[in-house]
Amino acid sequence: MSTLTAKLAKIVLLVLASGGLYLLATHQHGQRESIRQAAVALTPDCAEKLGRYGLASGEHYQSPYVLQRTGARITARGYSDEDVRVIQRGCNIVDDTQGHLAGDADRERWNTTRFIRGTHLSCDHCHQSIGDKQDAGGNPMKGSLNLGASWAMADMYDRFTGLLLPFELRQMQCYINSSNGYKPNIADDVIRDVTAYSRFLSVALDYRIGNHHDEQGVDEIPASATPKQGDDHVRGEALYKQKCAHCHGPQAFGLEADGRVVAPALAGPNSWNMQSRNYFYYVSTILPGFICRNMPPGQENTLPNEECRDIAYYISNLPRPAGDRQGPLVALRQQMLMKVLPPLLRLTETVRNGEAPVERESGHDR
Amino acid sequence: MNPPAPPEGDAPVERNREQPASSTRIKTLAKVGLVAGFVIWAHLGSGVEAFRSGVSSEPGWKKFSADYEIEHFGKDGQFVRAVQNGYNLVFHTHKYASRFTRKTALDRANSCGSCHTAEDLAYAFVNSDRFDPRLGMRVSFEDRVRRCYAGPMDGFAPTIYDPAVRDIRLFARAVAHHLQLGEGALRRKD
Repeated sequence: MSTLTAKLAKIVLLVLASGGLYLLATHQHGQRESIRQAAVALTPDCAEKLGRYGLASGEHYQSPYVLQRTGARITARGYSDEDVRVIQRGCNIVDDTQGHLAGDADRERWNTTRFIRGTHLSCDHCHQSIGDKQDAGGNPMKGSLNLGASWAMADMYDRFTGLLLPFELRQMQCYINSSNGYKPNIADDVIRDVTAYSRFLSVALDYRIGNHHDEQGVDEIPASATPKQGDDHVRGEALYKQKCAHCHGPQAFGLEADGRVVAPALAGPNSWNMQSRNYFYYVSTILPGFICRNMPPGQENTLPNEECRDIAYYISNLPRPAGDRQGPLVALRQQMLMKVLPPLLRLTETVRNGEAPVERESGHDR
Repeated sequence: MNPPAPPEGDAPVERNREQPASSTRIKTLAKVGLVAGFVIWAHLGSGVEAFRSGVSSEPGWKKFSADYEIEHFGKDGQFVRAVQNGYNLVFHTHKYASRFTRKTALDRANSCGSCHTAEDLAYAFVNSDRFDPRLGMRVSFEDRVRRCYAGPMDGFAPTIYDPAVRDIRLFARAVAHHLQLGEGALRRKD
């Protein structure tokens, strides 16, 4: 009798546990649906950009940008209210991935921070001006990683992964390596919203499927595009201190003010990891290309190729997290380097200069 | 002193020990031969396309490739092969996606091409990822393809990563490039 009772109790417990899980999943699902239906509070930059590009629900869409620049009225399929909200949320995620500008970051950004290990990284750091960087004349800038242009040219063969890489999978890689985090599911709202926003950019800027534009991706700089003086991290260090340290900090750990990131970390725990394409030892052409075409803000295209390679080489020698496929030993080594090197370097600098210790940067002591 | 006589029955025991050894060798050789034979048959004689990067050329591919200027993406390459596989999937679905459809060569409507033209798919691709009020959700191009396999093709939905879905998307993308379609392009009413 007691055995029967115990068995029954086990069954009841299992049914209750399963039912509880089911109710929890239903609750979460309902919560997601309510977020999808809710009005979107745009970040100031998104409000400006989406307003300028005339995003509104309606049967047809005509890009004011294209009309203004070419005089052509290109009519495309319009957007429903639901589509507009998706695009708005995607813009918010790119502009403010960590949700610093959101009232409720978890709800308004789909809890994006669960896919990012650090506290700095945001899509907008690489895909500047919310993935649509333009010069003063309104021309998209070469090598500025324009998201709309990337969508138009997605699905091509990717030499790093050996895959015909869909736009969604590329975003997942960004979360794993550039954000040193975890990959969302391909059907997660985080991914789908950013895809919808990128697709909207492509129609706003009139990109056609499969056409290459200079603003797509990075304008890579190989060693052959330099005077071939060799990539030199000593030169790179001097250049970094002269041109980059002012914003990114003396040890490249980034700067924060009032809890907001002023300049993102280029090294340390808040930075991209050793399997990111930004890592010079992994791909030596991408970070120099990014620096030359996008840095310093407002003075883009002013650094010579050799200097961009030197700076990129120096930055990549600074300690940063290991990649997700490099194993626990490399991860441990990098964690130790990130803990030990900063105070040692500070001490060295202090002794060398005979000055007071350099003020601590944000992030590295977390 | 004479050595003790071997016990009776020793000689037959020796013979018995030799016999199993040789038969084991024969069995091992037979097994190796069987595996080698299977490998050779699988590679050369089976006609199964699995694990081959090549794509079979079906009738009409050359004309399609010329008409839609697929060579813009290279004479050959991963993308072009995927587009060619997409062509095979669209126009010979029962043959190339037999896992995901119950339709056979005997059915009249047995391929995506029975209902859709290449251009239909290109327009569907650039108009995908929109909210569908009928379904109450956003529907991607891949979702539509999967629904086609499960519904009109009377079969099963592949995963979103399956080449049976992916290559149809790439096929649509290549056609969209030829037509110079952008996001949300509307079809001209002829």
